[in-house]
Amino acid sequence: MVPVNYTYALSSWTPAVVSFLAFIFAVFLMMAVLMFLTGFLGEKRVNENKLRPYESGIIPTGSAPIRYPVPFFLVAVFFLIFDVEGAFIFSWALAVKALGAKAMVQITFFIFVLLMGLVYIWCKGGLALKDGKDKRADRR
Amino acid sequence: MYFGLSCCFVEEITAWTPRYDIARFGAEVLRLSPRQADLLIVSGTVFKKVAPVVLRLYEQMAEPKWVISMGSCANTGGMYDVYSVVQGVNQILPVDVYIPGCPPRPEAVLHGLTRLQEKIQSQERPSGKVFHMAGGSQGTVSPVLVDGETKTRDTRGPGMNGIPVRGSSVTPPDFHENRAQLMWTPPAAQITLSPVENEVKSQLVRRFGDAVAPAEKSADMLTIDVDQSRAAEVLRFLKYESGPRFLRLEDYTAVDQSARQNPEDYPDFTLVYHLLAFDPAVRVRLRAALYGRYPETQSIHELWENAGWYEREIYDMFGIRFSGHPDLRRLLMPEGWQGHPLRKSYTGRATEMPAYTAEDAHRLQPRAGEQFYQVDEDGESYVLNIGPHHTGTHGIIRYIAKMDGETITGLDMDIGYHHRGAEKIGERQHWIQYIPYTDRVDYLVGAANEFPYVLALEKIAGIRVPERAEYIRVLFAELSRIANHMAYMGITANDVGALTPNFYAFRDREMIMDIVEMISGGRLHPAFFRPGGVAADLPEGWKEPVEAFLRVFPKRLGEYEKITLKNPVFRARTVDVGLMEKHDAVDLGVSGPNLRSTGVNWDLRKNMPYSVYGSLDFDVPTDTVSDCWTRFRLRAEECRESVRIIRQVIDQMPGGRYISEDYRYVVPQRQDMLKDIESLIHHFINVSRGPKIPRGEAYAATENPRGEQGYYVVSDGLGFAYRVRIRASSFTNVQAFAKICKGATIADFIAIIGAHDYTPADIDR
Repeated sequence: MVPVNYTYALSSWTPAVVSFLAFIFAVFLMMAVLMFLTGFLGEKRVNENKLRPYESGIIPTGSAPIRYPVPFFLVAVFFLIFDVEGAFIFSWALAVKALGAKAMVQITFFIFVLLMGLVYIWCKGGLALKDGKDKRADRR
Repeated sequence: MYFGLSCCFVEEITAWTPRYDIARFGAEVLRLSPRQADLLIVSGTVFKKVAPVVLRLYEQMAEPKWVISMGSCANTGGMYDVYSVVQGVNQILPVDVYIPGCPPRPEAVLHGLTRLQEKIQSQERPSGKVFHMAGGSQGTVSPVLVDGETKTRDTRGPGMNGIPVRGSSVTPPDFHENRAQLMWTPPAAQITLSPVENEVKSQLVRRFGDAVAPAEKSADMLTIDVDQSRAAEVLRFLKYESGPRFLRLEDYTAVDQSARQNPEDYPDFTLVYHLLAFDPAVRVRLRAALYGRYPETQSIHELWENAGWYEREIYDMFGIRFSGHPDLRRLLMPEGWQGHPLRKSYTGRATEMPAYTAEDAHRLQPRAGEQFYQVDEDGESYVLNIGPHHTGTHGIIRYIAKMDGETITGLDMDIGYHHRGAEKIGERQHWIQYIPYTDRVDYLVGAANEFPYVLALEKIAGIRVPERAEYIRVLFAELSRIANHMAYMGITANDVGALTPNFYAFRDREMIMDIVEMISGGRLHPAFFRPGGVAADLPEGWKEPVEAFLRVFPKRLGEYEKITLKNPVFRARTVDVGLMEKHDAVDLGVSGPNLRSTGVNWDLRKNMPYSVYGSLDFDVPTDTVSDCWTRFRLRAEECRESVRIIRQVIDQMPGGRYISEDYRYVVPQRQDMLKDIESLIHHFINVSRGPKIPRGEAYAATENPRGEQGYYVVSDGLGFAYRVRIRASSFTNVQAFAKICKGATIADFIAIIGAHDYTPADIDR
């Protein structure tokens, strides 16, 4: 480990900071110019229909913010299985050299079990959009 | 952005396919939302019901924007001077370029597009508008026209004021100087009833006694006059108990009898039911007399599910009410429409009605989705409008889906956006003038539409058709079957995400279009059939292109099947999607390949042979599991059978006349007309004021690519029909959606409606 020297990190004379600030400024300037141009240029005429959402040419029915049903329980369970497991894999990855070959084999097995789980869910139709009925008989 | 309204759109989309390749002009990207589009191509008939939608889309487009009006209907109303059609889209929004034609060819679309580019380049100075400075112009600057003020209302063009429209006085109720009344014809043809029909007749008489009165004469099938109050009972008997069971309500309509030449012989209205028994194949017609200005009768929606729509249509068109109908409201005309268009007292022409304006389009909105399904304010379900402007709906039809997440829990349909008043027009155009209108009823199948109409006329008048003409008709019918199925395969595959088949399939469709054009002179709408035959003989050298097509097509068809039916993605989207039950299909009157996919072996060409189909050798492909995949497969198979039929037609094409010798009713052969005076007189009369067809009625149906297309024609012994009723295959076919889409996802829904194959023109007529 090498100790870090913080002395010049925030010095205005260090080239890195100047260019960084210039870059930020350029970005904001660019954004401002673009937003002004898109707002200013071109003809704009507003009417009632233009402000209305497009729904196949019909006046939309009901409101847009609805409670869109997500099959939440399944999503939560899959999250537990496939996302929380990430924590194990990351922690292993940080210490991969210290843990050695034995851990490599173990984590490979662990990932393999996870993959099997994925395959199982897939076959069961758990990844289907609705009711798990998406699995279609391949009768032809 | 495109807004495909009717026939023109087929030609417009053809401009995107390989032969015409609009991409050469830098315009291959079709936008489907008004937000991304700068050009609106209004292609086809602008209906009063859909005009508010057209205007909304235009207003939702960002500036600058341009409009191309494509086709006679969008330009001026075209041949549809009828109550439901706006007489030109320029009455509601400004138009830059008009493309003339009915429909314009794909080349005309390209021309229109380049004309617009030229106009932008030479006339527009956009910088002023872009920088908010004075002056400059961009987008459309032409004004919205006012019908009757800045544009003429006269369908003949300006300068004809004071001259009455020719022929209009001879129509009911005046019959002023109607010369058909002075002509003599033999009475209508008469058939002898088959043993089965006699059996049904005696069963009915035995069971119902005086309530039924079999008609003495009939030109086509067993006809029974039935007491209106017992009609439902008789129908129930015919469906469940009679000798052959009449399982299908083939057609159900009414006739307003008030404008007859001898009204004292008729009731005020007649309800007409056509029933069909599958085994043995036989039809029966029931007529029930109704009296009063707004009569009411009993609904039969519980007997047949499709009667619900038929009754709504009758209520809409005639004002006849049905007691016990759960949802008796207008079907085709918009809500709040005044009057009942098919009544004889109703003005048929749009030019005789107040002009349709942009204000009307703002005011008269389609029925709100909330009125179809209750919107659940805080629940999880919602209501989604799919169509009328939607790529997946294949034209202007509107579905209202009650959704639970991605799943459809209820589906309602709002039709009539494409109602062109074809039946009303039939009552004022003379018999032969009406043929081009039949083409446009189902714009994808061309000449096949004319078939049932001329068959019905021939039945009434007893015209014998020469064999050569029959073969030519079959040739046309089968060519249009392949052309339709090619368009179907391309577009349906496109709907489920496969773009390639579309380009291939339209290539073959173009080959057929060339053949049709070479023989008849028309592409989409040949208007080639005539009562008693066809319009002209086959030209020299007609065989070569047909044979060339038959040489390449079967192999290509195999390729198309490979890239669709065997494609895993296509299969995932279609296999086991939209399952339809045999029972439902029969009960709803579903016909064509859709019916055959449920395991019913029923093809009119085989089961009730017409023309020369009885002597041709072909098979009828069927299946037992009716999903989207099967429906698609059957159509591919049908193409193969059609190829077989066309081969036989080429080999067996007999010589001889192409039109009947019965010049009383038919347009004489050109050579005869030029050589002898009798033929010349008949030619003059039959072309100018129409042949006098004897008083009578007939129903004829043919197996069209989409299903069974039937025409019920009533003649009052004049030069034009008293009533033309079109039994459209799509009208009954789409009613199955409410059932088969329940529980499907939105993605499935698009596959289902694609694979079902309908055209809105055929639903709404």
